[in-house]
Amino acid sequence: MHRAISQQLAILAALALSVSWCAADVPRPRGVSLIKAPLYQPRAGDDSWTCLDGSKTIPFVQVNDDYCDCPDGSDEPGTSACAQGQFHCLNKGHESVDIPSSRVQDGVCDCCDGSDESQVVGCANTCAELGAAAAIQRRNQAELHKQGAEKRQEMITRGRQLRADRETRRLELERRIKDQEALKSEKQQIKINAEALESDALEVFKEQQRELDADTVQAEEEPQQMRQEASLSFGVYDINKDGFVEVTELMVDINLDRDRNGVVTVEEAKYFLDERERVDLDAFVTLAWPRIKPLKMLAEGLFQPPHADEQVPKVPVEATTEGVQQSQPQPTEEQIDMEASTDGEADEEGDEDQYDDEEGDVGVGEASPEIEAPAPPVYDPETQRLVEQANEARNALEEVERNIREIEQEVKEIDEQSAKDYGQQEEWAVLDGECYNFEDREYVYTLCPFDRASQKPKNGGAETTLGRWEQWIGEGYKYSKQKYGNGAACWNGPQRSAIINISCALEPRITSVGEPNRCEYYFEFETPAACDSEAQRAESVHDEL
Amino acid sequence: MGYGLCIVAIACALAAYSSGVDPNNFKTCEQSSFCRRSRKVQSSGSKYALIPGTLNSYTDSLTGDLVNKENHHLFSFKLEALAGSTFRLRIDEKQPLRPRYKVEHALKGQPEAGRIRLHTETDGEIVITSERTKAVLHGDPFYIDFYEHDVLVVSVNSKNWLYFEHLRPKPNEPTEQREGEQEDQDGAVETPKLTDSIDDPGAWEENFKSHHDSKPYGPEAVALDFSFPAAEILFGIPEHADSFVLKSTSRTDPYRLYNLDVFEYIVDSKMALYGSVPVIYGHGAQRTAGVYWQNAAETWVDIQTAETNVVSSLVNFVSGSRKTPPPGAHFISESGIVDAFIMLGPKPIDTFKQYAALTGTHELPQLFSLAYHQSRWNYNDERDVTAVSAKFDEYNIPMDTMWLDIEYTDGKRYFTWDKFKFPQPLAMIKNLTELGRHLVVIIDPHIKRDNGYFFHQDCTEKGYYVKTREGNDYEGWCWPGSASYPDFFNPDVRQYYASQFDLSRFQTVTADVMLWNDMNEPSVFNGPEITAPKDLVHYGNWEHRDVHNLYGHMHLMGTFAGLQQRDPNQRPFILTRAHFAGSQRYAAIWTGDNLADWPHLQHSIKMCLTEAVAGFSFCGADVGGFFGNPDAELLERWYQTGAFLPFFRAHAHIDTKRREPWLYPERTRLVIQNAIRKRYSYLPLWYTAFYELEKTGAPVIRPLLTHYPLDKDAFGIDDQLLVQDRLLVKPVMQQGVSKVDVYFPAIDDKKNGDLWYDADTYERQERVGYVSVPVTEYKIPVWQRGGSILAKKERPRRSAPLMLHDPYTLIICLDRNGRAAGTLFLDDEKSYDYRQGQYVYVSYDFSENQLTTRFIGKRLYESDAWIERIVIAGLERVPSSVGITVNGVKQNLESTRQGGAVVIRKPNVKMDVDFLLILHYA
Repeated sequence: MHRAISQQLAILAALALSVSWCAADVPRPRGVSLIKAPLYQPRAGDDSWTCLDGSKTIPFVQVNDDYCDCPDGSDEPGTSACAQGQFHCLNKGHESVDIPSSRVQDGVCDCCDGSDESQVVGCANTCAELGAAAAIQRRNQAELHKQGAEKRQEMITRGRQLRADRETRRLELERRIKDQEALKSEKQQIKINAEALESDALEVFKEQQRELDADTVQAEEEPQQMRQEASLSFGVYDINKDGFVEVTELMVDINLDRDRNGVVTVEEAKYFLDERERVDLDAFVTLAWPRIKPLKMLAEGLFQPPHADEQVPKVPVEATTEGVQQSQPQPTEEQIDMEASTDGEADEEGDEDQYDDEEGDVGVGEASPEIEAPAPPVYDPETQRLVEQANEARNALEEVERNIREIEQEVKEIDEQSAKDYGQQEEWAVLDGECYNFEDREYVYTLCPFDRASQKPKNGGAETTLGRWEQWIGEGYKYSKQKYGNGAACWNGPQRSAIINISCALEPRITSVGEPNRCEYYFEFETPAACDSEAQRAESVHDEL
Repeated sequence: MGYGLCIVAIACALAAYSSGVDPNNFKTCEQSSFCRRSRKVQSSGSKYALIPGTLNSYTDSLTGDLVNKENHHLFSFKLEALAGSTFRLRIDEKQPLRPRYKVEHALKGQPEAGRIRLHTETDGEIVITSERTKAVLHGDPFYIDFYEHDVLVVSVNSKNWLYFEHLRPKPNEPTEQREGEQEDQDGAVETPKLTDSIDDPGAWEENFKSHHDSKPYGPEAVALDFSFPAAEILFGIPEHADSFVLKSTSRTDPYRLYNLDVFEYIVDSKMALYGSVPVIYGHGAQRTAGVYWQNAAETWVDIQTAETNVVSSLVNFVSGSRKTPPPGAHFISESGIVDAFIMLGPKPIDTFKQYAALTGTHELPQLFSLAYHQSRWNYNDERDVTAVSAKFDEYNIPMDTMWLDIEYTDGKRYFTWDKFKFPQPLAMIKNLTELGRHLVVIIDPHIKRDNGYFFHQDCTEKGYYVKTREGNDYEGWCWPGSASYPDFFNPDVRQYYASQFDLSRFQTVTADVMLWNDMNEPSVFNGPEITAPKDLVHYGNWEHRDVHNLYGHMHLMGTFAGLQQRDPNQRPFILTRAHFAGSQRYAAIWTGDNLADWPHLQHSIKMCLTEAVAGFSFCGADVGGFFGNPDAELLERWYQTGAFLPFFRAHAHIDTKRREPWLYPERTRLVIQNAIRKRYSYLPLWYTAFYELEKTGAPVIRPLLTHYPLDKDAFGIDDQLLVQDRLLVKPVMQQGVSKVDVYFPAIDDKKNGDLWYDADTYERQERVGYVSVPVTEYKIPVWQRGGSILAKKERPRRSAPLMLHDPYTLIICLDRNGRAAGTLFLDDEKSYDYRQGQYVYVSYDFSENQLTTRFIGKRLYESDAWIERIVIAGLERVPSSVGITVNGVKQNLESTRQGGAVVIRKPNVKMDVDFLLILHYA
């Protein structure tokens, strides 16, 4: 049609024809795959053709005439006329692919056989090279996976062994717990007996002491002082104000946890009440307070400032050996804080030091040496023997209980580990406990699979947790990506997190680390554990689609 | 202890960030000495008079002397007539102590002179006429009335608010007052002294926060009032995040024009922003006029306009006459001279063109720059750039340009690359350009003070930096840390800077890499109001005070020259944040660091409409919002809105979550794909509109009043826009709505309107006034005006350059008389060859069932493109046959009804060929 027809169109038409009749065995319009070729036949008789969605019938000459007639775009498989159409690159010698029609005739060579562009563009046919390269790539990949699969098999074996070991160990531990529990009741009984004897002996001893003390000259003040502080304490302990201190009322004071197992048991409380259910003021002063006081002092000692002579009284009852500050008002904890901060203003550095010391003490949980319990009384040999026996019994019980706790802890760890998903064949298990590093310009990144990911500046500075193990998050193949979350919070931003993309290689290593999103890290990690030939097959099938 | 304080400090900082801009970082009028001095005149008035016998008239102008009757200081004025119903009024001191700064480089060239006729001098009035316009000068008090066709449209100094502080020697005895203590000056009852001293404590030095302004030249403000007697509303003076119609400032600070880097700016605010364009328009049903106040110093603009409330409009309605004085504007500048251009319309589009005739337009941009831009602070490395580009292809979303923000550089040293993240920029660029895509990189004006950095070395050695008062290189703080600022006012500095773009120097880019100039207000993190101190010294010994608002403009001139020199036949693309009158000749703008919320989305249209009538058609906002994380719906609607603003770029702050379309749910991705594809389909319209902008000065996007000047209800509509006079766009900018109220404007005052055709369905809209229109998540409410023809390209491609040879679809929407007309421009979309006639510019005309072509200009460009489809909306019936005649050969075409339109299949005629298409009805 005269010069108004675009040159390109003419070329296109010519191309369409040539492709139809030369390029392949089955004659078909340009851009149509072999499979779909039968769909592109003119209807006998009127040479019409119906859009593949059945919505419209057009003359067959309007197929590939560079005008979109069919709503589904099926009439223009070889042009760019339909926005939602597809063009089939045959790519002989390489893989066939469908590309969107929008890439046809746009001057960019998309098909390796160049079939998406007119000859004017001059696309080289690179399918043979690409096909060969792809074949080599596939072979290498297959070889890698084959070798990797062997290593993976070892990892599976080891992983399964680890699981078996864990299970064996767990059974063993359960058995040991049972043993220890039995032992514990035994030791408890021994302790109760020993303590009963001890208690009686001490009672006698104290009675004697009291008589002795009554004779001493200075004894007048001390009992009075003792009585005063004891009365104060009584008031504190007598929560329900019924004039008696009961076992339950003592049980709330954790300072009385003699075996330091975290609770004040009835037995422990009773010990302080001279094995009674409750005591009145007098009994408290004479029987209970002498037993309670050393522990109180011990406990308070935890919070003593280092300089004993400068110390601020901090607790309701204060009766150290040099305790003459009794009449001072008792500051509350808040007041103490305030005083501490006032100090701080006066001498910031000193205060900081002091603060540090305190922190240290609290952490270690030991009393300051100066406040260590006053020198133990000197008992008569028999009492001494009974006290020692009772101590031994207590220690023995404590040891058993510690054993139990340790075993329980190990069981817990095993259970946690068993709960982790180490893959369908336990192939990832051996990575738990390993750590891998990667250095870039600024940081050393560390990945400890199933534990954490972190980052440390190379020029010094603290390590930052990028995330702790959460779960597998691969789309399609679950075991292709790991997520670590709840890392250190970013300034003015979210908590850090990391995603680990995993691929197959013969040696485990991190190949790159990036931060595509602020505070969201992305690791590329290689390991033979990922050399799962089945997964690879699944993936390559996916690619071909 | 110290640790605790630190935590408190951080907490405060966080609180400050989350609540947006801190207005206390910026001055109020009251805190600015010259503003409060000049504003005082509003209550006292001033006394300037023409000195009889000093008048001289020339063919195009009139000159004379003025006297300040209070201090007897003398001034000279010049009133010139310019071609195109425009006057220019200049007032300067007759014998200033030292020269006062006169703005250079803002005008596109010497304005074309007009001719005047001097008429009688009666009653102290001097009348001059020029074509349809007339200026009447009154001698004492001095004021000038401007008439367009005998209607008074602008009065200058009719309020006697002219205020001109002449330069004076510094008083020997410094005032007792300590600077900074803003003591009450009981100025209101102050009696004028015999001497003309200025007692304001900020007259000779001024403090703001911890910053000191030495003010060596003392008070030198200029201020003048303009009234618009034929107007009902005022608009213009961007850049502010405010409504299109200017609001009264009677109870607030004036609008401020001072280029500033504002962190998380707030909307509905008169605060200064990144750009300053001192042009204002007054519009009423019968007349539109404008004033361009050419002054580059800090400027405040007081607006007097009727408070629009129900009572006052009711009063006006009942009385039928104006109860309030006409709208007015009081321009107050810190230094310089009075240099005002009075543009007399009479129609809105005339006035916009008059302004464009003075300051120019953006030239025809390369097509790619009108397509979709993908940006983020920052794309991390080469792999990131390449991967993002590939993802757009994977999801079949067109994308033209990838952007690199500051992190691509080696430590914020411009003209360098971070060699670790971007070891092979040329390979990365090739990955983009192979697909027709482009790369834009940022180059800011702050130069890292690093002795190992060549640019810094050169500027230091050659004395190219802006200087302190003492003559040292000024050091500020910006992205690179300690930084200095090239003095782009010096032509040698501009040439040095421009030469850096030469590919033999900047070897790691190609001629397809375009530029982004940010932070050029200039932004100085530790400077007063986050910018440069006013007493810095520029080329020619001018203070920064005099030229501040031009700094970014001069930066752009350097960049533009650099790109043109680099490749003389490729049209540069530059994006800038700071801008002044005339900057539109060099760069596109965006509205700066907005927030990911619905009000900022709404303000993107308000702000760009104001910019468009002030010369900056090439305007857009960060799609998605710069700060914060938009939810899916906001992002979808923002893409839809951005697709109908001239500059279409998604951008985000470094602390935001990644927001490329595929990171959102599939529906969002598809909505975005749909919006971007729609943008690409209309590229021929945008391109033609920009060609016509360059040719005529008519803005690409326009407020409704441009074409519906009689419809008072349309004056204030700033949530809708027109693309030329062809499309009406009302993007959905509210959350969770299933319908929007669209205003269809009236062409007269009798509620007659145009026909409008839904751009997707061709459903016809005939009503005037608000119509409720249902919307889905995909819907962008757009109508094509009945009577218009436009061309589209409906084949989606990966990028705009790949569409070069693609065929066009003509969309013809008929008016009530069955007529329509429209133009199409095409060329190579890249080079300057169109200036040698290498283009096709065609006007299509449809009437009496015939479509004809008329080619304008040379038609030398040869295009492979052709017409694949003609859509005609508004036909009552499908024609029985359609014939096309090309070169005397006639052929029949198939036509079918599709929705509200008739589609004519495959005319198959090339774009540069005449044809005649006839619809036949049996």
